[in-house]
Amino acid sequence: MDKALGTSDQTIYVPRRGSLANLPWWAIVLVLAGLAVLFLILGNQNYRETFLFLKNGIIVTLRITLFAFPIATIIGLFVGLARLSKNPVLQTISTLYIEVVRGIPLVVLILIVAYGLVPLGVELINRIGDLGMALVSTGVIGGIFTRLKLFNIRVVSTELRAIIALAIGYGAFEAEVFRAGIQSIGKGQMEAARSLGMSYFQAMRLIILPQAFRRILPPLGNDFIALLKDSSLATVLAVNELTQLTRIRRSSTFRVMEAFNVAAFLYLSMTLLLSGFVRFLERRYKIVD
Amino acid sequence: MRSTRRSTFIIALFTLLAIALATSGCGQTATTQSAVPTQPPATVPSAATQAPQASAKLPDMGGKSITVAVENAYPPFNQIDKNTNKGVGWDYDTVTEICKRLNCSADFKQAAWDGIFPAMQAGEYDMLADGVTITVSRTKIVDFSMPYVTIGQVLLTRADETRTVDEFKADSKALIGTQLGTTNELVAKENFPTERIKSYEDFPGAVQALIAGDVDAVVIDNVTASGFMSENPGKLKIQGQLTSDEQLGFVFPKGSELKGLINSALESMKADGTLDQLNKKWGLSQ
Repeated sequence: MDKALGTSDQTIYVPRRGSLANLPWWAIVLVLAGLAVLFLILGNQNYRETFLFLKNGIIVTLRITLFAFPIATIIGLFVGLARLSKNPVLQTISTLYIEVVRGIPLVVLILIVAYGLVPLGVELINRIGDLGMALVSTGVIGGIFTRLKLFNIRVVSTELRAIIALAIGYGAFEAEVFRAGIQSIGKGQMEAARSLGMSYFQAMRLIILPQAFRRILPPLGNDFIALLKDSSLATVLAVNELTQLTRIRRSSTFRVMEAFNVAAFLYLSMTLLLSGFVRFLERRYKIVD
Repeated sequence: MRSTRRSTFIIALFTLLAIALATSGCGQTATTQSAVPTQPPATVPSAATQAPQASAKLPDMGGKSITVAVENAYPPFNQIDKNTNKGVGWDYDTVTEICKRLNCSADFKQAAWDGIFPAMQAGEYDMLADGVTITVSRTKIVDFSMPYVTIGQVLLTRADETRTVDEFKADSKALIGTQLGTTNELVAKENFPTERIKSYEDFPGAVQALIAGDVDAVVIDNVTASGFMSENPGKLKIQGQLTSDEQLGFVFPKGSELKGLINSALESMKADGTLDQLNKKWGLSQ
């Protein structure tokens, strides 16, 4: 099947088993370093206190990452498709989005979203409520307008704003990943599917995307890990994620090494687990058996 | 075709490198230039006439340059003037006056507050002027000058706020902003549950969040609160006092010789009323 689809030209590197040179030495070094920090956390009072203080940040960091990445992937899928579309409007809008967002540093994007776009959006909602109230002030619709009028910015917490900004920012990267993945599938397949009577979207959904998905798994996984690290930028919004707590810990104890060592250990543990998960997915969906 | 493309690429790379080098050179000259004009102008007219008598007894540093870290985000101590885009404030005036008396030149450098104590401990700057509260835990890693003013901490709120300080403490939805690693953060934690405190990188960020409605109150020094109130007329008010016994001083690396010299100059400024004048000018005292 795969041969017929023209993907057999890929060579897969198969390591010889049993050779010392083929051991994953990088992983062994990392595990040893991790054990050393773990030992410090268990044995050293300062490290233990730092760990206990920072551990609350893990949940927030993971929450930001696990919400932002699926949204970014969905944005990426649709913007990537729009970029490949023959419709000039869709193409222009998607290209504009990608070029603008990709060109803005994430921390600036986070600040723009948090202090610019979200307050603006909230004000807009309030205005709509105001206008609506002037037209209909009673009944169910009036109640909705009252709600809109009193919609508070606090509903969109700074953590949520960080998630929105990261999703928008990574959506642009994911769009390019999807575009590259879709383009990597031979044109003939789309033509063949169409001539079998499938619609464009049927062909996309049933023929192209399943194959493209396997190819973009590695870059997607890469961005998943990068997003987890970039969630640290939410510290500029005073979101109590891991980096923010690290900074609070350091500034209250003046102990730089403890705070950052534990933070690095926690980040590394999370990213290594993630990359393990991505490896598993890659093996599960690899192109050639 | 291939070779021309490659050479274009190499040329582009070198152009980029050249631009980077040129601009980095510009940056360096620009910072040294901008640092110089802040020194000569006499900021307190009367001090210029008093200085020669007072400095007669003071040590002479022989024109030595000292690097003074400021945050430029902590009015009225140091801030960027909206019109001139230069650093102004009590710290600028006072350190300049001190240097006039000691015959040194102050080279003001903008530094981020977060991490400033380890930086001072490592001797990155000769001195830190940022309205720093003298605390026991800080004196373990840095030295302080004599206290130049005693201030208190307040709860800054939006102008239309109706809740009292006690109601704030009881209201589980009220969020409190402050600055990371400050004594204000410590006082906030003494008065409010930790999960309701948001520690911003600097006070402009916290006050912006207050005005925008992200937080309901900011724990801040009273003089700094006044500084922000005059910057945002009609938007803010002080809702209550939290502490009243914070002594502020300049910060030095541990064992710095500069500490004694600065203290003697501060002492003379205190004696002839110059310090009082500066405190009044910037609203540190009434």
